[in-house]
Amino acid sequence: MTLIHIQGLSKHFKILNRHEGLKGAVRDLFSGDYRTVQAVDGISLDIEPGEIVGYIGPNGAGKSTTIKMMTGILKPSAGVLQVNGLVPYDNRIRQAMIMGVVFGQRTQLWWDLPVIESFKILKEIYKVDQKMFDEHLGMFHELVGLKALYSQQARTLSLGQRMLCDITASFLHNPQVVFLDEPTIGLDVSIKAKIRSLILELNRTRNTTIILTTHDLGDVEALCRRIIIIDKGKILYDGDIKKVNALFGAYRTLKLQIKDYSEATLAALQDRLTGTFGAGHGITIAQTEDCWTDVTIDQARTPLADVLAFIMTNFTVEDVRIVEISMENVVRKIYDGALK
Amino acid sequence: MLTLGEYIRLYFLIEAQYIKGQMQYRADFLISSVGMFFSSLATLSIFVVLFNSIPDLAGWSLMEMVFIYAFYMIAISPMQILFDAVWFLRYKIQSGEFVKYYFRPMNIMFYFMSERFDLKGLTQLAAGIALLAYSSIRLGLVWPVGKVLILILAVFSASLVLISIAVMAGSSAFWVVNSYPVLALAWKVREFAPYPITIFDGIFRFAFTFILPIGFIAFYPAQFFLRPAEISPLFYLAPLIGIGLFALTYKVWDLGVNSWTGTGS
Repeated sequence: MTLIHIQGLSKHFKILNRHEGLKGAVRDLFSGDYRTVQAVDGISLDIEPGEIVGYIGPNGAGKSTTIKMMTGILKPSAGVLQVNGLVPYDNRIRQAMIMGVVFGQRTQLWWDLPVIESFKILKEIYKVDQKMFDEHLGMFHELVGLKALYSQQARTLSLGQRMLCDITASFLHNPQVVFLDEPTIGLDVSIKAKIRSLILELNRTRNTTIILTTHDLGDVEALCRRIIIIDKGKILYDGDIKKVNALFGAYRTLKLQIKDYSEATLAALQDRLTGTFGAGHGITIAQTEDCWTDVTIDQARTPLADVLAFIMTNFTVEDVRIVEISMENVVRKIYDGALK
Repeated sequence: MLTLGEYIRLYFLIEAQYIKGQMQYRADFLISSVGMFFSSLATLSIFVVLFNSIPDLAGWSLMEMVFIYAFYMIAISPMQILFDAVWFLRYKIQSGEFVKYYFRPMNIMFYFMSERFDLKGLTQLAAGIALLAYSSIRLGLVWPVGKVLILILAVFSASLVLISIAVMAGSSAFWVVNSYPVLALAWKVREFAPYPITIFDGIFRFAFTFILPIGFIAFYPAQFFLRPAEISPLFYLAPLIGIGLFALTYKVWDLGVNSWTGTGS
């Protein structure tokens, strides 16, 4: 049976058009001048039990709005939305029993209480029986060694420790679906890996459906089999990660600070790269911030090392950074037809 | 879904842990208790100074005023102890943190209010009870069982009025970006409560009885015990007003909870 069924789901917000200055503020008080913002615009998708779905998109794409509708906080403007056969907004409490939610930036543990007391309170709220409770904590202890943190108050935990505890808390009542919002934001590499393997293990052993929203494409690559990309309230892509993986994996952006930079430098760089690597080199150049030049390279076509070596020998480069492709660039590439 | 009994059990579980946590800040508890004590004392001193220059206030003696004030101190305690979280609602809403209260299978008001338990309010409650006992001895009041039951009912009704005023003012944060002035206003208005309504003029008396029923917080109930002969028939409406006002407040809160959409992500 389908766990989450969404058909033509939309959400629009009415926002007051604000005017400038004091006069404008007074006018706004009595104004009926609203504009409608279509945060989610007719999306359809089905999620099966046990799936790990990466729900991604740039800022303001409509991700949180969708999640808020799925968790029963927001009422959809139009369309069908069912989780486990029920409408979330009309059954908030019942739905909350089968859901878990984790926010990267905010803890849901009781701030002043020792972690274990938060778990015990959750045990009462969700009516988890003692046996299951012990089993669950035992499993977590085995996976990430949580016991040492039990007696600490939530506010004294580091961000990474807190995240581990928040994830534990969200799985405590064995929910059917867990929403993870930026679970690895601000964490260092080793704890990121720990959290990712924990999520995979929970999904594997309990068949918990996981919906992951993140800006970290590494999370998506490590966890998801299926990916849904949303932009401007519409679904751009919904399908196997493998197809999109090429996009994330192959592209790297070389950030350069070129000495004595001028408009001409950019043109020269463009010409000479084309001259050296041929017309189908898969390299795009853009001027981003004041003095940084972005050279985005499709490694499937041209090795990054070659481009870097060429630029270093032919231009005076003051500083260089290599970055993974950003969410915004992935979306741009999809618009440009990268997945067609 | 949780039953009423389970909610009560849960409340004690959460508060027991919360108090344990707060006990680490013993200095905070002591200082704020002392502060609260002195602020009550200040109000009482005003009465004493006032009554040094006048024999009575619109026919009310000093001890009667003390009795009304003591009743008020008791009635305000449940709001301070159990609904203290209302003062933090606007921060939670501004920061978007409020979203977390939707994710648990619990009543949202219960979840939100259960996160705080104001210990120092207990000091105030104790002081209020002591003061009520003292003034009623000085006034020579007698307390048969029936009267005690009425007192409890009156305190309950008055508490509901106070809780309603605070929660309703706090709920404005769902719609207003800076709700502090609304809360401050509610807090100020409440200060009229320990005075006999009869000292106010027509307009204020009407407003304090029917619009913002702070007359029901202390004056009308206290009148019943002090001067049963002069009692206004309004006194018997007190439980209805308390329950009705709280029901209305809950509606407003619920409306806020449902209309709030949260910040971005």
